[in-house]
Amino acid sequence: MRSEVNNMERRTFCALLVLTTTAFVAAPLSADDPDNCLLCHGFRGLGRIDNETQKIHAFYVDPDYSHLRRGPHARLACTDCHKRSEVSVVPHQPVTHVDCARQCHLSNPNGIDRRFSHDPIQSMLADSTHTLDTLAKLDFRGGPILDKDQSACLYCHDEPYFRLPLDVAPQLAAVTQRGIDRCNVCHAETVPIDIEYDLNHVLARLQPSRSPLEIAQTCAVCHSDPKVTAEHDMSDAVASYVRSFHGKATLLGEHQTADCLSCHVKTGENAHLMLGKSDPQSSVFVANIANSCRSTQCHPGADPAFATAAVHLDLPTAHGSIEYALAAIFIFLTIFTFGPSALLVILDLLQIIVGRTHHPSHRIEKLAKDLMASAEGRKRLKRFTISQRFQHWCLSILFVALVLTGFPMKFADRAWASMLVNMFGGLSTARNIHHWSGILLFVGFSFHVFQVVVSSLRTARAPGPDGQPMGLVKAWLSMPMWISPQDVRKTMQLFAHLLFLRKERPTFGRFSPAEKFEYLGVFWGTMLLGLTGMLLWGEQYASHFLTGKTFNLATIAHTFEAFLAVIHVGILHIYNVIFAPKVFPLSPATITGNTPIEKLVEEHSEFVEDAAMHMGKHLKADPTA
Amino acid sequence: MSKLNPLNLPKTIAWFFRGTWRNAERVIPRAYALALAFVICFLTYQAVSYLIVGLLKPSGSPPQITQLPRRMDATLFEVDRRKWRGLDATANPRTPPSHYHRIGDWIEPDHQSGCTTSGCHSPLPHNERKEVRAFLNMHATSIHCGTCHMKSDRAPLSLTWYNLASGDPQGPPAILQAYDLLTSDEYEKQRNSPDDAFQDKLTSLLRKAAREADNLPALENLADHVNAVRATSDEFKQLLIQARESLPRHFRGEYGAKIAVRGVGGDPVLSHPDTEKLVAQYVSQKDTIKGQDRRDLLNRIHPLRRKSPLDCTECHRKQDGLIDFARMGYPPARANALVDPIVVEMIEHINKGTPFHMPDFIGVEK
Repeated sequence: MRSEVNNMERRTFCALLVLTTTAFVAAPLSADDPDNCLLCHGFRGLGRIDNETQKIHAFYVDPDYSHLRRGPHARLACTDCHKRSEVSVVPHQPVTHVDCARQCHLSNPNGIDRRFSHDPIQSMLADSTHTLDTLAKLDFRGGPILDKDQSACLYCHDEPYFRLPLDVAPQLAAVTQRGIDRCNVCHAETVPIDIEYDLNHVLARLQPSRSPLEIAQTCAVCHSDPKVTAEHDMSDAVASYVRSFHGKATLLGEHQTADCLSCHVKTGENAHLMLGKSDPQSSVFVANIANSCRSTQCHPGADPAFATAAVHLDLPTAHGSIEYALAAIFIFLTIFTFGPSALLVILDLLQIIVGRTHHPSHRIEKLAKDLMASAEGRKRLKRFTISQRFQHWCLSILFVALVLTGFPMKFADRAWASMLVNMFGGLSTARNIHHWSGILLFVGFSFHVFQVVVSSLRTARAPGPDGQPMGLVKAWLSMPMWISPQDVRKTMQLFAHLLFLRKERPTFGRFSPAEKFEYLGVFWGTMLLGLTGMLLWGEQYASHFLTGKTFNLATIAHTFEAFLAVIHVGILHIYNVIFAPKVFPLSPATITGNTPIEKLVEEHSEFVEDAAMHMGKHLKADPTA
Repeated sequence: MSKLNPLNLPKTIAWFFRGTWRNAERVIPRAYALALAFVICFLTYQAVSYLIVGLLKPSGSPPQITQLPRRMDATLFEVDRRKWRGLDATANPRTPPSHYHRIGDWIEPDHQSGCTTSGCHSPLPHNERKEVRAFLNMHATSIHCGTCHMKSDRAPLSLTWYNLASGDPQGPPAILQAYDLLTSDEYEKQRNSPDDAFQDKLTSLLRKAAREADNLPALENLADHVNAVRATSDEFKQLLIQARESLPRHFRGEYGAKIAVRGVGGDPVLSHPDTEKLVAQYVSQKDTIKGQDRRDLLNRIHPLRRKSPLDCTECHRKQDGLIDFARMGYPPARANALVDPIVVEMIEHINKGTPFHMPDFIGVEK
């Protein structure tokens, strides 16, 4: 199997070698432009603006299209499509619209002429959901798109270009004429074939002739038009597509992601045979969706249950669904966790704005200075150990990497998202960085959990004040980062103080409730993001244990939790460690582990007192405090 | 109020700065805190509203999907009438309903011509006579309006090329120079004993021509290839033949330059002199001014206008043609093609409105 793949890759590679020479080739074997139309139509300015309709009549046709054989129509004469009687005289007769099903005339270099027509393709539409009758009746919000009698093919097709698969192998662009030269040893005269043209044609068909974005744009002409969708009782399918994982990748320029045709066209058939989802033969009929998802190009290893995932999930139109409920819960959680924290910061800034100053206890200040004078005191007042600081910086770097590579997917329709992804060298690279950053973060998280467990075990085994071991549960609950009832009380006191309802500002131990809250947020967030991220990454494997809907829920959880993390860190944490007036331009605690004495005395006086107690240092109570 | 004692001046200044510093110490932290509070409130509002609106309000397909031209109409020009632009279809790849043939970047805007930058005339200004309007517009990308429409009693006309980016006078476009190189006696000499200097010159001209034709890939590739082979090799000789055959295909008026009437001092005449205020007056009144007033104003705006513009055959003819194509830098082969009797005959047909069949001529050197 593997060798087959290699052989195929090799063959494709060889073909691509030849293909990439198209920009610079020997003179084509058959005559370009036999009617000499490009003598005038090759000028970009050939055209006019209609005074009455203000419509531009542009008669320019890119001469390089035929000179450089840029598409399957390059070997056609203009009069194969346009009626000779109308255009062979100058000024031209009024030109009727081109009938795409008209028979045209292909002249091969071997001298054999063939007749060709798109009529069979057009006939296919009769059995599809896009019948000519349906297309003829389309009523667009902005008025008709095509003129009367203009071919309905133009709803989807413009001049076809060879879309060479250079995005798969861009390095092949450097290959020269030699590939074609080798073929032409035989094919120039002995078995004359227009090698360059034929190879272009065949290889361009190895992939869709349009990128996923262009396909979405094409479908959106009708499927995003409010009048068309209302008349046919359809939702805006393209809007929901671009909010899906595939659609976002499409917006970010990914060429290998699923587009509309990947799902809506049955394997072995073509887009002109597309059927509506209610047709049992359709690739998106409920019984067939699993097969469509599990095609060899997409998710071949997935369980059929994977197909229950909603691909066209647009939350605002999914009222009553479990996905909608989960998103609502996350928004509620975001507002009620981020909101109070933000309020605390704003009220804190308000104290500065109104000039309200809080004078910390002179006793604690003196005690802190006293402690800082000795090595042991400095050690005891260090709030963050080397290991904790190291973990924090690792977390910071990985967090930034995850945000930069993950958020473009969330905001794929913004211009900055594409710019960012391009800076990483494309979505595939950005995605790889995201995955590996996630893995590293999870490894770091596991290390931290290991440290917590070891620390809990040590505390559990150590003799307590009564001389007996504390026990695991008690030790675990006594971990310093838990938010205690006392923390809740003090937080309320802090709010009261900041709202001018209380004179004294409460002070805390080594970690303030806000810091504990942030820590627990990171703990929860890393677990949730890690688990949902791995689930989405290994979707084919995970689908054997979970239903498709789980992936929708995982996506929602992943994206909303990430958003919460970003706004919390990006707005509040950055304020606390960089922009807050007491620490600007950067809190030294992140580097040295030490908090400035002023902040220590004001916010962590209990920590100072604990340290003094352990060192046996006490100062008399401050009568002014 | 005590008298100002000069000896106290330093103390006064020091007092002033101390006071100012004390005030600044009080004000700066407050202003900083206020700014921070504002930023945090703004970001919080943005974040929360994004979440809520995103859940409650369907937003439809994004602009990348839907905002594509459905029709090629004049509004595509009208981003800024003072800087007419060409239709950038490459930024809007989905064009079937607007235009079947992919046209890529369309006409190159002329930011120097007063006729279009005034907002009065479009880059495709001719739209009246069916027989000739498209042909005349075809010339508008390489010839300034004044060439045919401004008075001149000199024959041939005194003309100059001007750079579309700067408006400065310049020599012939690079593609004409390259073709001249390839059709001159020097070409035959080079075919027998080519040298590096010739190769460098040709490469440089082709590169410049590609740039002037909006980075035309075919010319860029040709330049790269000419540059890549050794001047003494057979491949180079083959390339010379190929370049000589293919260059005429690119004589399509995309030169990064246009021909205009040469004014005093050699500068191109790109607008009627001293008419800015009148133009502004006309633009502001164009919907209301009528009749004789309108005609009078238009006459004052166009002091150099010919009574009737030049006819095509006045330039496209061998005898006494008003444009000396050779002097304008056209290589002999191209200049001869432009004044070929067949062209004159063709133009006469067009002018008379009599249908004729397109002859197979001048496009590509046969």
